[in-house]
Amino acid sequence: MLISCNKLKSYIKNSSDIDWENIWNTFTIRTAEVENVKKMGNNIDNVVIAEIKECKKHPDSDHMHVLMVDCGEKELIQVVCGAPNVRVGLKTAYIKVGGHIDGMEIKARPLRGILSNGMCCSGKELGISDNHDGIIELPNDAVVGMDIKEYLPINDIIVEIDNKSLTNRPDLWGHYGIAREIAAITNHELLPLDIEEIKNDKEDLQIVIKNPELCYRYTGLKLDNLKNNKTPLDMQVFLYYVGMRSISLFVDLTNYLMLELGQPMHAFDSRVVKKIEVGLANDNDTYITLDGVERKLTKNMLMIKNEDKYFGIAGIMGGLDSEILNDTDSIFLESANFNAGSIRKTAVALGLRTEASARYEKSLDPNMTDLAIKRLVYLLKRENPNLVISSNMTDIYPQKLQKGSIKLHKDVLNTYMGRNLDDNEVKNILEKLGFEITIHKEYFEVIVPTYRATKDIKIEQDLIEEIVRMYGLENFEPKPLKLDLTIKEHETVYNQEYEVKYLLASKYDMHEVNSYIWYDTEMLKKLNVFKDGVKLIGKSENNILRDDLSFSLMNIVDTNFKNYSQFEIFEIGTIIENNVNKRMLSIILANDENKIETIYLKAKDIVKYIFKVLKNQSVEFLNSVNEKEYYDVDLGKIICVNNIRIGQLNVLNKKSTNKLCKKKVVVCIDIDFDKYVNLDVKAKVATEVSKYPIVSLDYTIILPENIKYEILKNVVSDFKSKLIKSFSLIGIYKNKYTIRYILGSDNKTLEQKDLQTFKERFIEHIKNNNFDIEE
Amino acid sequence: MEKELENLLVSLKNELDKCTKEFDVLNLKSKYLGKKSRLSEILSELKNMSVEDKRLYGSVINNTKKQMEQEVNEKIENLDSKVNISFDDTIDYDVNNGSLHPVTIVAKEVTDCLKKMGFTVVSGPEMESEYYNFEALNVPKDHPARDMQDTYYLDNGMLLRTQTSDNQIRGMENYGAPLRICAPGRTFRNEDLDANHENTFFQIEGMVIDKNISIENLMYVMQELLKEVFHTNIKVRLRPGFFPFTEPSYEMDMSCVICGGKGCPTCKNSGWIELIGCGMVHPNVLRAGGIDSEQYTGFAFGIGLTRLAMMKYKINDIRVLNSGDIRYLKNFDIK
Repeated sequence: MLISCNKLKSYIKNSSDIDWENIWNTFTIRTAEVENVKKMGNNIDNVVIAEIKECKKHPDSDHMHVLMVDCGEKELIQVVCGAPNVRVGLKTAYIKVGGHIDGMEIKARPLRGILSNGMCCSGKELGISDNHDGIIELPNDAVVGMDIKEYLPINDIIVEIDNKSLTNRPDLWGHYGIAREIAAITNHELLPLDIEEIKNDKEDLQIVIKNPELCYRYTGLKLDNLKNNKTPLDMQVFLYYVGMRSISLFVDLTNYLMLELGQPMHAFDSRVVKKIEVGLANDNDTYITLDGVERKLTKNMLMIKNEDKYFGIAGIMGGLDSEILNDTDSIFLESANFNAGSIRKTAVALGLRTEASARYEKSLDPNMTDLAIKRLVYLLKRENPNLVISSNMTDIYPQKLQKGSIKLHKDVLNTYMGRNLDDNEVKNILEKLGFEITIHKEYFEVIVPTYRATKDIKIEQDLIEEIVRMYGLENFEPKPLKLDLTIKEHETVYNQEYEVKYLLASKYDMHEVNSYIWYDTEMLKKLNVFKDGVKLIGKSENNILRDDLSFSLMNIVDTNFKNYSQFEIFEIGTIIENNVNKRMLSIILANDENKIETIYLKAKDIVKYIFKVLKNQSVEFLNSVNEKEYYDVDLGKIICVNNIRIGQLNVLNKKSTNKLCKKKVVVCIDIDFDKYVNLDVKAKVATEVSKYPIVSLDYTIILPENIKYEILKNVVSDFKSKLIKSFSLIGIYKNKYTIRYILGSDNKTLEQKDLQTFKERFIEHIKNNNFDIEE
Repeated sequence: MEKELENLLVSLKNELDKCTKEFDVLNLKSKYLGKKSRLSEILSELKNMSVEDKRLYGSVINNTKKQMEQEVNEKIENLDSKVNISFDDTIDYDVNNGSLHPVTIVAKEVTDCLKKMGFTVVSGPEMESEYYNFEALNVPKDHPARDMQDTYYLDNGMLLRTQTSDNQIRGMENYGAPLRICAPGRTFRNEDLDANHENTFFQIEGMVIDKNISIENLMYVMQELLKEVFHTNIKVRLRPGFFPFTEPSYEMDMSCVICGGKGCPTCKNSGWIELIGCGMVHPNVLRAGGIDSEQYTGFAFGIGLTRLAMMKYKINDIRVLNSGDIRYLKNFDIK
């Protein structure tokens, strides 16, 4: 929202004491975030009011004129001007030679052979309107020679306040509210607004509220004998500076009131108004709004109706058929208050958010509708002294919002603030903001003005907020928490996740990625995979929540294949399986197709390593039946710890892999991290180390075709001897598997004959199982 | 003769200095100390000398011999301890390191700091109910935050949490008061992606409930946290904000480190980055968590971890964070 400091100054007594450029830093930390402060008029100088005294056609141009202008100096000055609206007697803005507009210096220079000493300028050139159709036309009473900056409020400071930070402050959606806040911050007095009191000695207007739960108040007034004159220039400048376009006096005044008080208003051409009714629309009806767009209505949208015809969408936009015209001489003023939620929903449904709806959404104070009308009449009367108030100010206000009171307990205030405030300091702060306050022994009785009561001030904590911000957040001293020294570890999920991530990144040099919780629709299409699951409402793409973390990472795999032929990534993330959140660890190893053995075995190694070092548990890999169509039929493994399934290892099948990148292999590990977290670290007990030497013996066994290590491992496990400390597979060459035994005894040094016996028994055992052994 | 012996020793030393191989040293040994050496000759001449001369020169000759032997032995030892260089010791490969996600690294720093202040780390679900995400947090039914534009609603009646604040309620329910928890986690908002907007991002929630908790305690925790993460005094400002679940509510901004506060697209030209939303826990929220709001007060805060990571590492496009592109990620290492 844009705010004009000139306007604010007019509401505050002794406003020149305030540093209007720098007050906004304070405003940001007291009230709401200021995004920008811009000085206007800085780049213009030496522009004065001048009158055109002579006007001749330029002999060498079809559109330029040679003017002699009076700018208050002794002699007339010759100026060449290309504007179409030049004429003798016109008062306009003239820039002297050496003066500036838009920061550019104006020099005396010939235009098609005739010297132009300075320039007459348009509203756009002055930076006060978009109008560049001709030079600016000033009223007849403008004084020749006067600096234009004295005549028009060109010098101003325009402040942009972040709308989001005003969400909770309906009272700040107009200049007067901002002025109230500035006055409170700087200890100044807020001046009352000049208004026109309206005598109710005429007929009431016909106004009916059908849905009082959606329309809290509707105030109307009929005015006659009007002329839709030009809007005064200073008001035009103000409107332009705060982002609005001047349209016509009546429309501009309603906008002005909205900018001043925050109260949206509407002026209907009263020649067409019969009876106003506020009620809901019918489903599927259509209505053409002021902007010429046909809108489709629903039964939840509140409408202003003229008898039984739609007349406007309540609180959002009027209709084309009630538009103010140039010859309108009688208006029906609407100043109303609506339910904020209803306005917001309608505006969202129509995709039509207007200045009015933005304000109504904030829950405006219903007690200001009549003030707005009185103020508008006051301002209108200055331009239309002969206006006639032709109706009562008709005010339908079924349930008047009364001022409420809140008890603010001193002990609560002191606890929140961490310090004790003087009673009078509290009183002072709250009174400046418009609260009425009575001091009691234990508490303050605070009466809340209705402009603060609709939304943000409901409980005593809301009052504490007011006191704290006005007291000044910068006046607090950060204080450490008192530790009670009770050790409480509520859960270890985070620590365990971090431990695993750190291990994967540091030991295995993998990269942690973060992805999205939904499947990428394009990727599903690309891999020709159909996924069903929990869906996002109102989305047609990327709308299915993932139930397979590894598979959802295929986008990232795809991305990285563009730059890397091999890479390893992991993520700990959420999947949704059977409607339940589940944490998963996914590890993906991608490499060239011919490295499949290396990375497949590495994948198993990684899984074993994680469980060994972090949980002291051993892992088993069971052959799985193919569970998902995009994984390889034969290579899937179920990962088990203590005979409980904790994850799976898969290889993306060739068809899918080829669609990502040819001649590659992608190995995926998925670990159920909820189960991992709950898995205990197996207790460790120190083992005695034998004081006698150990002996290692290697045997190479030749496996027949189609027999896997799994079988050999079982056979070797079946071989029992007191001497065996451990055995392990240490190498493979083609179908030759080398097993290393570590032998030893706890009570003697092994002799040659012990080893000989062991060897003979082992070879016999292997041969009995129909394997060959290299001796 | 003494002179000659001295010369022999010096010349041996000189020759030894030039040797680099054991073989050469052994040759020198036989040249100077062997049977055909000059020293050997001198020794044999000793036989013909008088007893007095024998006594006089004998010890001199023996000393020289010992010295020469020592020189040779030392040289051999030194040569033995030297590794034969048979490789290029200037080879210098690039390190191939793994990396943690920048958000993980920042989250670790924040949680470590909070742990020192006695917080424990908890976690909540990403698919959340309306109750925990809104209702219990004092966000009424018609509040704009509940709008479809901001929230991803799901066809099973749940939603993707829009904030980590669900952990406040879950934390109070699970552990009661006094309470000191923090909860890093992923959150979702229905936004169109651009350099500054993501629909999936990280926050960390914090909550402290105890007797006599004040705004000053809140300020302390926030200030220490930023100091810890940025290792310098970062310029911050606290200003009034609005969140339904806290009252009073504040926003903490930090001076934009991308542009140094001058204004850039990341800070929307304001020079400030909104980083932390915080405030005193609303009595309704305490009540929803089953905590006596007359007896206890507390504060809560939510920090944009994604935003924090962007500030810390000067990342100017938020989209790289969820891209999984190793070219970016590998730069972040693990700490």
